[in-house]
Amino acid sequence: MILHASTLRLNRARQLLIMLMMMAFSLAAANEKVPVNHNACLRCHAMPTLAYRDANSNKIINLSIDSLALSHSVHGKLACAECHDGQFDRYPHQFDAQNRPLSCVNCHEEKADAAERHYQFKTIEEEYNQSVHATPDAPELKGFNCHSCHDPHQFRASRIGEPLAKIIHTNNQLCLSCHESARAHHAWLPNQEKHWQAVRCIDCHTPVTENDQTVSHQILKAEASNHDCVNCHSKNSRLLNRLYQYRTATNLEHQGWFNTAVFNDAYVVGMSRSPLLDRLALGVIGLTLLVLIAHGFGRYKAYQRITRNRK
Amino acid sequence: MNAIYLYPLWVRIWHWFNALLFVIMLWSGASLHFAGSIGLLDFSTARPIHNIAGILLALSWIAFVIGNLVTSNGRHYRVQWHGFIRRLITQGHYYAVGIFNNEPHPFHPSTEMKLNTLQQTSYLAVMYILMPLLILSGGAFLFSIYLPETLWGLGSVWVVAMAHLTVAYCLVLFIMVHLYIITTGETVTTNLRAMVSGWHREMAQEKTE
Repeated sequence: MILHASTLRLNRARQLLIMLMMMAFSLAAANEKVPVNHNACLRCHAMPTLAYRDANSNKIINLSIDSLALSHSVHGKLACAECHDGQFDRYPHQFDAQNRPLSCVNCHEEKADAAERHYQFKTIEEEYNQSVHATPDAPELKGFNCHSCHDPHQFRASRIGEPLAKIIHTNNQLCLSCHESARAHHAWLPNQEKHWQAVRCIDCHTPVTENDQTVSHQILKAEASNHDCVNCHSKNSRLLNRLYQYRTATNLEHQGWFNTAVFNDAYVVGMSRSPLLDRLALGVIGLTLLVLIAHGFGRYKAYQRITRNRK
Repeated sequence: MNAIYLYPLWVRIWHWFNALLFVIMLWSGASLHFAGSIGLLDFSTARPIHNIAGILLALSWIAFVIGNLVTSNGRHYRVQWHGFIRRLITQGHYYAVGIFNNEPHPFHPSTEMKLNTLQQTSYLAVMYILMPLLILSGGAFLFSIYLPETLWGLGSVWVVAMAHLTVAYCLVLFIMVHLYIITTGETVTTNLRAMVSGWHREMAQEKTE
């Protein structure tokens, strides 16, 4: 018993030490990048292990915030209290303060520049409401909201500048973190791994919309998603345009002009194919070849005549 | 024998460098366009090759234009409008009919004019219409982010792709005809040798005169 109690004390002491070290480390990181007004919150929330077990659902609720990611995010310049406006200045936080709904759309529509934004939050909301993620009666989607995909403490409007493969990987990981059986459902897709490394899930699983917003928030059901290879590989496809231009932008930002030109990986196999043009051109080329051969043969005959005459 | 120095060194170097690039461009371009077909380069190999050769080809074209502006070689590309149609018909008639009757060449290159009218017209079209279109559409591929999303109601990348492809096919036709036409000199290799040594040598003139 005595031995057990001392081991327990030792473990607690070790835990405390680790916690203090983590806090010190997190604070150092926080001081470096994040504006001062986050520090009061990040003193605790920057700890990577800050979490609790929810009594009702029995799930671990993660409360930690990556301070570096926060400083790079679109919300990095906001004070915590601008969104979390309950009584969070006291510890422990008041229970009722924790459950205030945070609506992206409401906040963003109130902004003065709401109409000029590239992404219209009203449109996003309309699209989202038609999305599979908004299916109201699916039990596994209970509590699904913007934050299920877009972590407001890390969200960046564009990740252009990072290596393309990393952007695609991060993007797809987001989907795959819930859709665990996606791999089996994509067995029909030729070169599945290559596709997953080069194309975002949302490129096929969202409709091509007429508004100027790059990607729709209306995530489609599997059966309504793009299964047609030709939609990307060849033809006048806006889906292809979208992917192509995104890739070029990424390349330019990341590699600069010269490398973009030389190591440009934006070309999609088959995108320049036009069966009509190919057939027409190959036909004309074949015909020209025949004419040239016939012409050469005629010249050879003429040459034979001239040598015969000389003799 | 009649020998005239028609092709200065820079023109010959440019010509053979350009020819090499054309071969590389056509081969790697076909590998991209018909990716997966047998006998072609691997897609990932063809891609940087096509891009690098494309940039070199664009530089080579600029060098050609500058070369023709600053040296006397440019005079061969200045069209003499007087009798243009008549010379075009004469030259066309020779290739279509006269050549089979062993008629003499209607055109003899000189230091003043090394290209016959048909040759001159096709070179002008290739170098000053097709090549700029090829380079512009190729460049537009590489930097498609600066393009509008649509051109004339069609996806702009597709418009660019079709333009690049059409011009490329036209140039394949040009190369085929060019390779054949160079054999129609006094002997099969007269014109080829001229582009190697710079000297155009004609024997027949001496004999007939």
